[in-house]
Amino acid sequence: MPGKTPDKEPVENGGYRGGNAKTTKGKKAAKDGEDEKMTVVVPPSKKQSSAPPPNDADGDVAMDVDEADDGEAKVDPVVQTVNDIKSNFALLDRAVALFDARFSLRALRSISSIRKRLTPDILARAISETYSVSSLSASAAKQVLAAIGRSDVSLGRQSSSEMDVDSEPTKTSGKNGSAKKESKEIIPEVDVFFGILTQVLLHDTKQWQQGAEYSQALIERIQSLNRRTLDSLSAKVYFYYSLFAEQLAPLPPSPQSPVVSIRPTLLAALRTAVLRKDVDTQASVIVLLLRNYLLTSHISQADLLVSHTQFPDNAANNQVARYLYYLGRVRAVQLRYTEAHEHLVAATRKAPSSACALGFSQTATKLLLVVELLMGDIPDRATFRAPNMEVALHPYFLLVQAVRVGNLEDFESIISEHAETFRRDSTYTLILRLRQNVIKTGIRMMSLSYSRISLRDICIRLHLGSEESAEYIVAKAIRDGVIEATLDREKGFMKSKEVGDVYATREPGEAFHERIRACLALHDESVKAMRFPMNQHRLELKNAQEAREREREMAKEIQEGDLDEDDLGGDFEGM
Amino acid sequence: MADRQLATIVTQLKSIPPSTPYTETSSLLSRAKLLLLQLNALTPSPSTTNPQLLSLARDVYEAGALASIRAKNPDAFTRYVSQLTPFYELPPNLLPTSTERNKITGLRLLLLLTQGLYSEFHSELESLAGDDIVPEQDKYLGYPIKLERWLMEGSYDRVWKAMKKGEVPCEEFGVFSEILTYQIRSEIASSSERAYPSLPLSSTKSLLFLDSEGAVIEFARNRGWLVKDGQIYFPTAQEATEDGGEQKETSQTVIENTLGYARQLETIV
Repeated sequence: MPGKTPDKEPVENGGYRGGNAKTTKGKKAAKDGEDEKMTVVVPPSKKQSSAPPPNDADGDVAMDVDEADDGEAKVDPVVQTVNDIKSNFALLDRAVALFDARFSLRALRSISSIRKRLTPDILARAISETYSVSSLSASAAKQVLAAIGRSDVSLGRQSSSEMDVDSEPTKTSGKNGSAKKESKEIIPEVDVFFGILTQVLLHDTKQWQQGAEYSQALIERIQSLNRRTLDSLSAKVYFYYSLFAEQLAPLPPSPQSPVVSIRPTLLAALRTAVLRKDVDTQASVIVLLLRNYLLTSHISQADLLVSHTQFPDNAANNQVARYLYYLGRVRAVQLRYTEAHEHLVAATRKAPSSACALGFSQTATKLLLVVELLMGDIPDRATFRAPNMEVALHPYFLLVQAVRVGNLEDFESIISEHAETFRRDSTYTLILRLRQNVIKTGIRMMSLSYSRISLRDICIRLHLGSEESAEYIVAKAIRDGVIEATLDREKGFMKSKEVGDVYATREPGEAFHERIRACLALHDESVKAMRFPMNQHRLELKNAQEAREREREMAKEIQEGDLDEDDLGGDFEGM
Repeated sequence: MADRQLATIVTQLKSIPPSTPYTETSSLLSRAKLLLLQLNALTPSPSTTNPQLLSLARDVYEAGALASIRAKNPDAFTRYVSQLTPFYELPPNLLPTSTERNKITGLRLLLLLTQGLYSEFHSELESLAGDDIVPEQDKYLGYPIKLERWLMEGSYDRVWKAMKKGEVPCEEFGVFSEILTYQIRSEIASSSERAYPSLPLSSTKSLLFLDSEGAVIEFARNRGWLVKDGQIYFPTAQEATEDGGEQKETSQTVIENTLGYARQLETIV
C-alpha cells in the first residue's frame, strides 16, 4: 500500500503518528477519498509522480483561499492544515486512553506549526468535518463557530460553500461516513483543543474583545468538566484567557484594567489545580498571576503569592523559566539582588535557545544585566556580541560602559537619552538606583590609580556637588569595603592602602567553590531529568526475585546435605 | 441622617488647626468611623456607588493619617494608609483623584525610609512608576526619593540641608527630621570609625552636625570612642580579634567544602 511510505515521513510535529491515524480513517473512506488523503503527507518532490490528479483539484481550492501563488507547487494548504488539526485528535484519544499527558502535550506542541496557517475558514471546515449535528458537544462546536464569525457553517457536512466547491463532490460521500462514525466518540479534549485553536486564531487576528468573551465561556466549560486528561490543555486555555484580558482597554498599569478582575478566577483555578495535583495548570496559573500582579506593579502581592504557594518541581521547562524571571523581577525590586541574580541566571539558561523565544531571553537578559550592575559586577562583554541580542541590548551596553568607567555625566546622559526604552523594559527605576554604583566605581578607580588624591579632585572628577559630599561619600565607600583607604580630615585628602594579593584572600577559593557547586547542581539536575521506562523496575524485581530463589535453594541444599559443604567450600575458595 | 452627621464631622476635621491635640482629633475620628460603619462604607465595595459617601470616607481616613503623623504615631498612620489604598484604586469617574494623595504617599515613603524598610520603600516606588506622573518632579513624592538617593550614595550633607526649614515640603514631613538626623549621625559615625585614624574635636562637630564640643564628647562617649588632647581616637582593637575568628572560619569552610565534594563524588561514582 503506497500509504506506508508517507507514514515514515515526519512532515510535521508528530506527523507520523497522525499519518497512522489517517490511514485507518482512509480505509473507512471511499477510494477516491483515499487518493486525496495521501497527497497530504507526500513530500513535494514525490508528489508530481504519485498523485497528479488531486493536485489539479486542489489548485482550484487554494485559489479560493487566496494562497494562489504556491497553490501549484504545494499540496493544498487548506486540506493539509485541516488534516494536521485532525491528526492531533488521535494523540488526544491516546492521551485519554492511556492516561498519559505526554500525548496531549505533543498535540499542544503542534499548535505552533498550525498557527501560521490558521484562518477562520480552515477552522470552520475542520469543525464541520469533525462534529455532526447530533453529537453531544455540538453546542461547543457552535460556540467556536460563533466566536470566529462563521456561525453560518453547519455541522456534520462538508459544505461551507465558497471554500471547496471543486473538491466537494469527490469527498462528500466518504467524509460524511467517517464523520458520522466518529461523531459518537468526540471527547471533551477535542472540544477544548478546538477552543485553544480558536483562542490562538482570535489572538493572532487581534480580536481581543471577542477572545476575552470566548475564553470566559471556555473556562466555565472546563471548570464544569472534571477530567484529569484535560489538565495540560486547560493550562493553555488559562494562558490565553489572561493574554486577552491584558489587551483590553484600559491597559494594565491602570488599576481599572481587566487584568485585576480576572484575578479571582485565576486564584480559584490555582486552588483547584493544587487540590487536584494538576501540575500543568498550577504552574501556568502561578506564572500568570505573578505576571498579572507585576503588570499593575503590585510587588507586595506578588511577593505574598510567591511565599504562599509552592511552584511545582516537575513543571514544564518554559513555565519554570517564566516563573524564575518574574521571581527575579520581584526580588530585584526588593533589593535582594543576590537572589534576583540567581533566579535570572537560571531563567536565561532555561529559556529555549531557538528563535521562537527570543523576546523572552532578551527581556530576561536585560534585567539580568541591570541586576548584575546593581550588585557591582560588570557583565561579560560577550553577552552584547551575540548576534540576536546586539541591537536590543545596545542601550544597556552604553549603560554598562558608563558604570564601568564611573563617569556620572555619561551615566546621566544615557539615562535621559534612553529613558523611553528603559521605561518600556520596566527597568527604569532599577537603573536609577545605579547612581551610587557609578560613584562607587569612580572612587574605586581613583583609589587604584592614585596613592593620594585630594578630596577636591575627587569632587571635580566625579561631578559631585561639594567637597563635603565627597568626604562623606568616600567615608561610606571605605566603610562598605569598596576601597581600602584612609581619609585625612585636616589636609583634605584620601590615602590609598597598598592593594594586597588577591590570591592571598579567600576570593579564588570562593569562586572555585561556586563553580564546583554549579557543576554538581547540573549533574543532579540531569539525573533528575532522565526518563526511565515505566515498567523497568518490575523486570529488575523479577531478576532479584529469581536471585533470591536461587539463594534460598542453595541454602536449602546446604542445610539438607552436610556432606555438600566441603564441595561448596572448595567452590568458594576457587572464587 | 448619618451621612449628614458625617459631613459635618468631616468639615470639622478639615477646619481644625494642626496644633489641636491628638486626643481631640481622635475622638472626632472614631465618631466618624462609627458613622461610616453604620453607612456600610468603611471599605469601598461594588455596591457602594455613591461618590459622595466614598469621598467622605476617604476624607476621614486622610485626616486621620495626617493627624496620626502629627501625633508621631506610625502604627496608626500605616493603618490609615492601608485603609486608603482601595479608595485610591477606584476609577476616577467614581471618585475624583484626591489632592492629598501624593502628600500621604510621600509621607508613607518617608516613614518606610526612616524605619529602614528599603525593600518596601522600593516596592511602593515601583507601583508609583506605573502612573502618568513622574514621581521625582512631584513636590511631595520627590522629597523622600531624593533623600533615599542621597542616603544611599552617602551625601549626608545634602540630607542635612534638605531637612532644614524651608526645604521640607510641608510641616508633616518635618516630623521625621529628628529620626533622620539620628540615623545619618550614626551612619556618619560608623563610616568615620573606619575611614579616619583620628579626628580633631572641632571638625567632628561639623562632621556630625552637632551644636557644641560638649555634645561631641557626649556622643563620643556613647559610641565608646577615646577622647585625648582634643583628638578623637577610634578603637581598633575589635579588628584584631575579628581577624582571628575569621581565620578559623575560613579553614572551617574550606574543610566543609572539601568534605562536601567528596560526598558528592561518591554518589556520582
